[in-house]
Amino acid sequence: MPAPTSPYWNPKTETLPKEQLRALQLAKLQRLVERAWHTSPFHRRLYEKAGVRPEQIRTLDDIRRLPFMTREEWMDNQAQKPLFGDLITRPESDAIRYHLTSGTSGRQPLRVLDSRKDWSWIADMWCYGFWGFGIRPDDKVFFAFSYGSFIGFWGAHYCCEKMGCLTLASGNMTTEQRVKQIVEMGVTVVCATPTYALRMGQTAEKMGIDLKKDGKVRRVVVSGEPAGSIPAVKKMIEDMWGGKCGDTAGMTEIGTIMIFECDHQPGGPHIIEDHFIEEVLDPDTGEPVPYGERGERVVTSFGRGFIPLVRYRTKDLVCKVPHTRCTCGRTGDVYEGGILGRVDDMKLIRGTNVYPRAVEAVVREHAEVEEFQIVIQRVDNVQDEISVKVELKPDQQDCWPRLQAQLGKDLADAHEGLRFNVEQAKTGELPRFELKAKRLQDLRPKY
Amino acid sequence: MDTKTDLLGNPLTADDVELLDLYRRLKALSARADLPPVTTANVKQAMVMLWNACNDLALLHEEPGCD
Repeated sequence: MPAPTSPYWNPKTETLPKEQLRALQLAKLQRLVERAWHTSPFHRRLYEKAGVRPEQIRTLDDIRRLPFMTREEWMDNQAQKPLFGDLITRPESDAIRYHLTSGTSGRQPLRVLDSRKDWSWIADMWCYGFWGFGIRPDDKVFFAFSYGSFIGFWGAHYCCEKMGCLTLASGNMTTEQRVKQIVEMGVTVVCATPTYALRMGQTAEKMGIDLKKDGKVRRVVVSGEPAGSIPAVKKMIEDMWGGKCGDTAGMTEIGTIMIFECDHQPGGPHIIEDHFIEEVLDPDTGEPVPYGERGERVVTSFGRGFIPLVRYRTKDLVCKVPHTRCTCGRTGDVYEGGILGRVDDMKLIRGTNVYPRAVEAVVREHAEVEEFQIVIQRVDNVQDEISVKVELKPDQQDCWPRLQAQLGKDLADAHEGLRFNVEQAKTGELPRFELKAKRLQDLRPKY
Repeated sequence: MDTKTDLLGNPLTADDVELLDLYRRLKALSARADLPPVTTANVKQAMVMLWNACNDLALLHEEPGCD
């Protein structure tokens, strides 16, 4: 364990001066590309097609010689050479873990394998995040997570065991049972999606439990949805639980998290730069965008041996700012506002760009709202209409006319005057979620 | 392999040397095929934990291959 007073899981590399961090990334990148060339036929083909060889990676800028890797290519490779394609570097028999992407976008899930070493590294990346957010071996950590084939918080569970925390799994429990155990066991850290953290809080209220008074939760770690970095959502979670809410983000393709919010919470999570290279590129041109501008995350991971991940286009929308935004001493840069959404989840409504995350940020400013849903429809085959259906908290029904008008105004103000239809849903009408929430329904015809 | 410096060229500390030595000894044991399951499985578990410490501290960056 690090000295209990250390704010860093890994003081040596988390605080490396930027120049040395770049040197470390280059050393790892050269080894990664060399290994991918020799052990992954998929990568060898990509590199040969792009006319690049491992020995040409001499500086960090040479990463741009390497071709991008896309999810579509990965899926095609799996389909052509089931089950795992020839992307993997080792025989299937060397793996100890099998996981799938969540499939929320309706596509064929990706299948991933991990070795014993990979799995240990996956847990270690979560340790960077948990330790950095102030979680310590004497914490009791509760995972409100289903423990299925989706990788979710699996690595975080093993991280907490590694750190020496008391680790509580709740795979088969109902929401009520989870709330009860959190209170009964004096749980100090709760891990969930932001949506489910809110749902547990709402359920506790209905059970007559005041989590702030009756519970001992001091940290809520969220992951899996962009809402984890929306200030209004975090405030709601903190008001319900009485503990600080911190965001993390990862992906099945990496196996773990690549960013986490430190205890200083500078407005976004730090990148774990000694284990990842995170490029931010213009999604159309593939050219880098400067600090402070939005672009697509393109990730290179140094940890997972079974599946080399080099310049993988994530389609996540981010805005990178320098590490100096935070005073914690880490030299990993910060994604301001976390994952801002998906490059491809923007909806065009009557000429105005609408991102679901931006709608959520407005809706969650209103504490009277319990749940909501965005519905897009085409009227008379011509006009696109966007509606926000709102379900109020049971004790807030009287606020409707005022809230309806205010929400309509706030949504329009945030979207260049675009008119949103704000409608009231009946209590319990809208769907609730445990994993990634699906609050947008685009009912327009697909051509 | 240069065992006197880390990946950044810094001299190894006494703790670094000990971690690397432990990792390499466990890696050698992990690669053996003549040990009973109880030894092999537990040594491999220990080896990957040591790999993590050495990798995080930038003492090495390799795939052990025998995990």
